Amino acid sequence: MAFTGNFMCTSFKQELLQAKHDFTASTGDTFKLALYNNSASFTAATTDYTATNEVSASGSYTAGGGTLTNVTPTTSGTTAFTDFADLTFTTATITARGAMIYNTTAGSSTGTTDSVVILDFGSDKTSTAGDFTIVFPTADASNAIIRIA
Amino acid sequence: MSSVGFMDLPRDTPVVGVRTTNNRGFNAEELAEMCADKLMFVADTAPQEIRDQARAYKKQLQEVVKGYLQQAVRSDRTSVYNALNDAGHPQLAELIRRL
Repeated sequence: MAFTGNFMCTSFKQELLQAKHDFTASTGDTFKLALYNNSASFTAATTDYTATNEVSASGSYTAGGGTLTNVTPTTSGTTAFTDFADLTFTTATITARGAMIYNTTAGSSTGTTDSVVILDFGSDKTSTAGDFTIVFPTADASNAIIRIA
Repeated sequence: MSSVGFMDLPRDTPVVGVRTTNNRGFNAEELAEMCADKLMFVADTAPQEIRDQARAYKKQLQEVVKGYLQQAVRSDRTSVYNALNDAGHPQLAELIRRL
C-alpha cells in the first residue's frame, strides 16, 4: 500500500454541509496535521485519523501530529477559501511521504478524529535532527488549501 | 467540467511544500525565502513587465526580511548569553555568543 495522491475526504464535504467544521482563527475548531510513511493507504473514502503507519515521535513531533493555526476563511471573487499557518516540527528525525489534516474538536455528532484532507508529498521527505516544515500554498482563490468555487 | 460548486484537490500534484534540514535549523536566508513566498505570489502567466517588476520587488522584500531575521537571531543570542551568564555559566554563555 502507498500514498496515491491528494484527496479531500468525502466525509468532510458532507460534514461541511452539516456545519460540523469551523475554520475561524482562534475561536474555531482545532485541526491537527499528522505525518505518515508510504505504507499508509488513504483515499477520498478515509473518514478518520489513524495512528497506523504514522511516523514515530521525534523532536517536537508527537503522536497525533502538530496543531495547525487556522486562518479565518475569506473570499476572492466568487471563491471562498481558508488557509493554515506553516507548521514546523523542530529537532526532528522524520521520514514522511504524506500527511492527514483532521479535526480534533468534538461537536454535534462529530468525533475528535474527523479527517479533512489527505496530502501526498510526491516523494519521501526527510529531516535528520533538524526542522521539518509543511509549507501551505498561497492563500488565494487559485491556490489555497481548501477552496469552494 | 464546470467549476460551479467545485471543491477538490489536484490528485497528482503536491499541494503543500515540505522543507527540511539536517543537523541544524533553518537559517535566516531560507526563512526569508519562505516568508517572501508566503507574502507574494507571482503568477507565471502575468504580463512580462509586471512579472519582472513583481519579482524584483519580491527579491528586495526577501532581503529586508532576511536582515531583520538575522538581527533577531543576534538579539536572541544576546538575551541567551546574559541569561546563562547570570545563571553562573560564563563558558556556556561564551559558546553561545561565538555561534
